[in-house]
Amino acid sequence: MSKHDKQEMIVRHKLFDRICHWFIVAVGLVTFLTGFSIFFPSFQWMGAIAGTPQLARFIHPIAGLMMCLPLMLLLVRYYHHNKWEKNDLKWMLAIKDVMFENEEGIPPIGHYNPGQKVLFRTFVVTSIVLTVTGIMMWQPYFAPYFSGVVVGWAILLHAICALIMMIFVIVHFWMATWVEGSVAGMLYGKVSKAWCRKHHPLMLDEHSDVEKKH
Amino acid sequence: MASQDIIRRSGTSGMTPAAKGRNSSEQVAKLFDATKCNGCKACQVSCSEWNDLREEVGTFQGSYQNPMSLSGQCWTLMEFHEVMESNKLRWQFTHSACMHCADPACLKACSTSGAIIQHANGVVDFDSDKCIGCGYCASACPFDVPKIDPKDNKAYKCTMCSDRLAVGLEPSCVKSCTTGALRFGSREDMLFYSEKRVAELKEKGFPKAGLYNPEGVGGTAMMMILHDITQPDSYNMPVDPQIPLSVTLWQDWVKPLGAAGLIATAAVACLHKITVGRNIVEEDQPGYQPPEEEVKDKEEDDQ
Repeated sequence: MSKHDKQEMIVRHKLFDRICHWFIVAVGLVTFLTGFSIFFPSFQWMGAIAGTPQLARFIHPIAGLMMCLPLMLLLVRYYHHNKWEKNDLKWMLAIKDVMFENEEGIPPIGHYNPGQKVLFRTFVVTSIVLTVTGIMMWQPYFAPYFSGVVVGWAILLHAICALIMMIFVIVHFWMATWVEGSVAGMLYGKVSKAWCRKHHPLMLDEHSDVEKKH
Repeated sequence: MASQDIIRRSGTSGMTPAAKGRNSSEQVAKLFDATKCNGCKACQVSCSEWNDLREEVGTFQGSYQNPMSLSGQCWTLMEFHEVMESNKLRWQFTHSACMHCADPACLKACSTSGAIIQHANGVVDFDSDKCIGCGYCASACPFDVPKIDPKDNKAYKCTMCSDRLAVGLEPSCVKSCTTGALRFGSREDMLFYSEKRVAELKEKGFPKAGLYNPEGVGGTAMMMILHDITQPDSYNMPVDPQIPLSVTLWQDWVKPLGAAGLIATAAVACLHKITVGRNIVEEDQPGYQPPEEEVKDKEEDDQ
């Protein structure tokens, strides 16, 4: 047995949140591939995950809703972790140290760092706009209730928000795979105390507070 | 249809254009002279005959117009506009069908490669087999022409009888027109004729007569002679139709900028990971041994 298994572990993501997260990943992938195929006609083959181009168009709004609704659940579940805090501005100003791993220069932060908070807020805002504009342009059910001009602006806004969301998804994937231990944390829920000390030192205090309460 | 005379094709990069080998054909135009129309609806009926369309019989809506708008089963519609002027009622008829813009907004907005094409003769045509029913053409069209048929969720509109044109016939609506209000020919001929006709109308007491061939969409292959060109809205035609700003921003700006943004983010991510290297927690690594316990651990392993 390696010493790895003897590391002291603490819970970072509860089972419900993990299921929510990976469900969003699964339907989000379908939403992204089908949406991308409609946005860039030359990449229609990406929508083939749905079968035919017609099915891609049919499935996209349904998968999109299935992605956005659990995201709203996570908004409620993680709301308290994503409030702006005292150290956050200092951390943001030290972003260069964060990216180049100069650990002495990084102010201590809690469960989420400000970068993650910005990411979370972007996902929430874009998914709300995507849901509303998506319903407005949804053929043949809802689009006929809006004028062509309104639907035209909804399509533009939908595209802009989808691109912003995709860029942040890339950043999310990049950071999660760079900071090793994060993906395991989201898969199995637990991270080591050493991991917390390195990446989210104040989370240890939060955690011991919770332990005291129980 | 592999017609090999396609000058513009939806969702297709300019670097890989569609087959345009046979592109020397003349630009055609359909000319509707509203001042000659008597509202007989022969055009509407022959359109539905030729194209095998049967719109459901609706209910009376207080107008001779029936149905009240274009649809997947109605590609040509005789519109009856009741106009009151100096206490006199008169009808203004509009032969409502696709305008076949030289610069079609529907084609620019289309999400699917080749679902909307423009032939060398100027006709804008839908390939319903490729259509995915996103409705982008319907919302983009400044004339509100393409309609999604709820039956199969595909977009339909007047094809200018492209199947008839291909074998040298005129559109069926023109063939059946009883008053000569509809004409069909080369664009040049139609412009020449309309110039003379407008001059004639001006002499006859319609000083504001003119040709409706809106510049905002590059001109149209369906042109209209109106008795008062300053008020096309009285014929239910837009005064200055354009490709909507939302469509231009979306296709010409958001798409290339979005693609650049996605690629740039992915590139920075890759470069960063290669440059900075792994971000690991020493204690979490398999085989990690805290310095002070080094000896003790070794003994455990040996046992």
